[in-house]
Amino acid sequence: MRKKSLRAAIYSFILAVVLAACSSSTTSRPSTSGGNEKQELAYPTRQIELVVPFAAGGGVDLAARAVADYLSEKWGEPIVVTNKPGGGGIIGAQYALKEARPDGYTVLVNNNSSTTMYEAGNSNPTLTIDDNKFASRIAGGALAFGVKADAEWKDLKEFSEWVKKNPEKLTWASVGPSGFSAFGVAEWLKAIGADFKKTSMVSSEGAADSTAKVAGGHVVLAVHTVGELAALAEAGKIKLLAVSSDERNPLFPDVPTVKELGFDQLTVQWWTGLSFAPGTPDEIVKKWDEAVGQMQNDEAFIEELEKIKLEPAYLNSSEFAKAVKEEKERYTKLAEEAGIRK
Amino acid sequence: METIMYLWGGLSEVITPSNLFIVLLGSLLGTLVGVLPGLGPTSAIAVLLPVTTILEPAQGLMMMAGIYYGSMYGGSTTAILMNIPGESSSVPTTLDGYPLAKMGRAGSALGIAAIGSFSAGIIGLLGLVLFAPFLADQALKFGPPEYFTLMLIALLVLFNLTGYSLRKSILMGLFGFFVSLVGIGMTTGMPRFNFGFSFLTGGFDMVSIIIGLFAITEVLKGLEEDRTARKRVKIKRVYPTKKDLQQSKNAILRGSLLGFFLGILPGISATITSFLSYDLEKKLSKQPEKFGKGAIEGVAGPESANNATSSGGFIPLLSLGIPASPPLAVLLAALMIYGLTPGPLLFEQNSQMVWMVIASMLLGNIFLLVLNLPLVGLWAKLTEVPFGILAPIILLVSVLGAYSVRNSMFDVTVAIIFGILGYLFHKFHWPIIPFVLCTVLGPKIESSFIQSMEMSSGNLFIFVERPISLAILLLAVVFLVISIFLMKRTKKRLMQETGEKMEFS
Repeated sequence: MRKKSLRAAIYSFILAVVLAACSSSTTSRPSTSGGNEKQELAYPTRQIELVVPFAAGGGVDLAARAVADYLSEKWGEPIVVTNKPGGGGIIGAQYALKEARPDGYTVLVNNNSSTTMYEAGNSNPTLTIDDNKFASRIAGGALAFGVKADAEWKDLKEFSEWVKKNPEKLTWASVGPSGFSAFGVAEWLKAIGADFKKTSMVSSEGAADSTAKVAGGHVVLAVHTVGELAALAEAGKIKLLAVSSDERNPLFPDVPTVKELGFDQLTVQWWTGLSFAPGTPDEIVKKWDEAVGQMQNDEAFIEELEKIKLEPAYLNSSEFAKAVKEEKERYTKLAEEAGIRK
Repeated sequence: METIMYLWGGLSEVITPSNLFIVLLGSLLGTLVGVLPGLGPTSAIAVLLPVTTILEPAQGLMMMAGIYYGSMYGGSTTAILMNIPGESSSVPTTLDGYPLAKMGRAGSALGIAAIGSFSAGIIGLLGLVLFAPFLADQALKFGPPEYFTLMLIALLVLFNLTGYSLRKSILMGLFGFFVSLVGIGMTTGMPRFNFGFSFLTGGFDMVSIIIGLFAITEVLKGLEEDRTARKRVKIKRVYPTKKDLQQSKNAILRGSLLGFFLGILPGISATITSFLSYDLEKKLSKQPEKFGKGAIEGVAGPESANNATSSGGFIPLLSLGIPASPPLAVLLAALMIYGLTPGPLLFEQNSQMVWMVIASMLLGNIFLLVLNLPLVGLWAKLTEVPFGILAPIILLVSVLGAYSVRNSMFDVTVAIIFGILGYLFHKFHWPIIPFVLCTVLGPKIESSFIQSMEMSSGNLFIFVERPISLAILLLAVVFLVISIFLMKRTKKRLMQETGEKMEFS
């Protein structure tokens, strides 16, 4: 009996030591004040985690993987992409911006859904754009309208007519009530004068999930970037009804632009960019921004972006933050008009 | 055959020095945890999960799969040499394995067990290769309602399998589901059940819960049980004789096929198939009186069956996202962390990685066969490591593992709390398997239910109006009946052979 209690005491001692070691490492954060400016920034010295708050295979995910490949080679430290989908991108964003240590080793790869649109769609958001320290915008993309390959409509015009008559039959996939697709759909329905509230959203984990649902006939419409729709469109499982860029997309020269079809008020554009937790040292954010800026001048990276069907759309930290703020205001207005805002 | 090409492609990618090393390391670690008392495959995978995130996703998965099937090999060693079934599925192995060992034929038993495990693993893989394309074809037809019915039914069948009353299992399952609800809503993006605490907003991390329930609980149990190393039987010969092989050939084949085909069905566990195989061999044998006193077929059959069931379990895991046992549930969590959502689409979207992992399982099985026979003596020695040395190591690795998932002390606290809870559950006979499965599958169940409701504007009949979903429901009734029957039988057999109630998986 005495032996047993002695052993229990030893274990609890070990546990206490380990716990103490862990908790002291949380408190000893790297100092954020740039006291010694001239000294070369020792970053990165270990593995970096790139958090994608959406399912693998979507545009954000592919862009993140391209950046991870490029910079891990350049910096000589591994950069690992982890997907934390759900909650319209907020679950992953919450993890990267609030739970992880703000030491620059956890980086969030954002897009509209998890930032401006989320905030525009919620009057009481858990995360706001102020919780982000924006580093740089990486890429952008125009949106396209995709339906199941054997659907009856030839183009967006015919589809719009059908929707006007049967708004209650329209289901569309989106990462959340205030996700990218929701805004794309709301803007289009407003333009054709159909009732957004009569249509219904089916929530999904990201573009890869949404497009699969449309191709399988479980949901009627997917509004995503051309690149995100490309895989299943090329496989003949999805039909594109229109693209919202100024010119026809070189990948799908037969698909008309929205302008050609007579819609011109469609402005929702997709982007993806990097952001950090607010407490992250400025020098680290700057290092990332400079690296991304240089990357965009490298032919090899631009080719990578072409492969994943995204368009280069670099903005530096301050331009990016400004664009995000402007976009938030615009979308808040749209969200209020369409009744997305809750 | 397109899949042969895929498998070939996977193989050619696995054969790089670093990948081979990972596979080797995984299978050796697996054997080690299978041999060491007090650390099963579930806790081993859970504890090592944070470590594997520094690897490429494919490598991490190869390593974890290696730990899984390696531990199946290791488990038979303790069963034969020391009469200690590491898991309930090894109980039939002890029945004849230990008598054989006492007769000085431990080597034969161990050798046959390894060969049986190997051939069963290969048969399971062949099945996976043949089955995968069929499922991939059906991929897009599986919508949210199909997933929802599939998961709900799989859970119900699994609940029936814990060895405890269905009522207790359902209560534990609901508790697990509730835990999975805490945090930011899957479809709404708004926090819920955080009771105003900011540390709950991110939700519970599955890995720390699993570390607590399996690893820390095990340490607490060991403290109470006062485990001292048991004497093991000396091994004389490692390699089985020609006569042994001749005798067990058919038993291995029968066990493998039985284990595999029943293993594909959700809710048929390795314990069920290994007992079925043991009884089948006894029935078919010309000398049934030898069973229980050292019949080599009594080792060959069940060992093959439980390994075939484990590799068969990868089919519902990879193709449908349904784990048939706790270690597979942890693997499911790992897949999701790596951004791979198991399901019919996995083969379409990540086919390269999936085939790489499958190919690595083939190589891992070969490694295990080649290494285990000569190393049997070493593994046997390891069983003598006293628990007093193991326990602090397990505790240390657990705490570090839980901390490193999100670098947060909250997760360590969660692991410790669940470790204590797990101990209490064990002590008062409440099953933890339904709890774990529901915590892992909870978010997926929730979102597929909500998506189904969004599709049908809130009409619950969507689950019976769609042909695939209806077919799943009807099949489920059949499975449930079969599994209740098999379950009753297995429970009775476990009682007969061990004289105690065991939770099994």
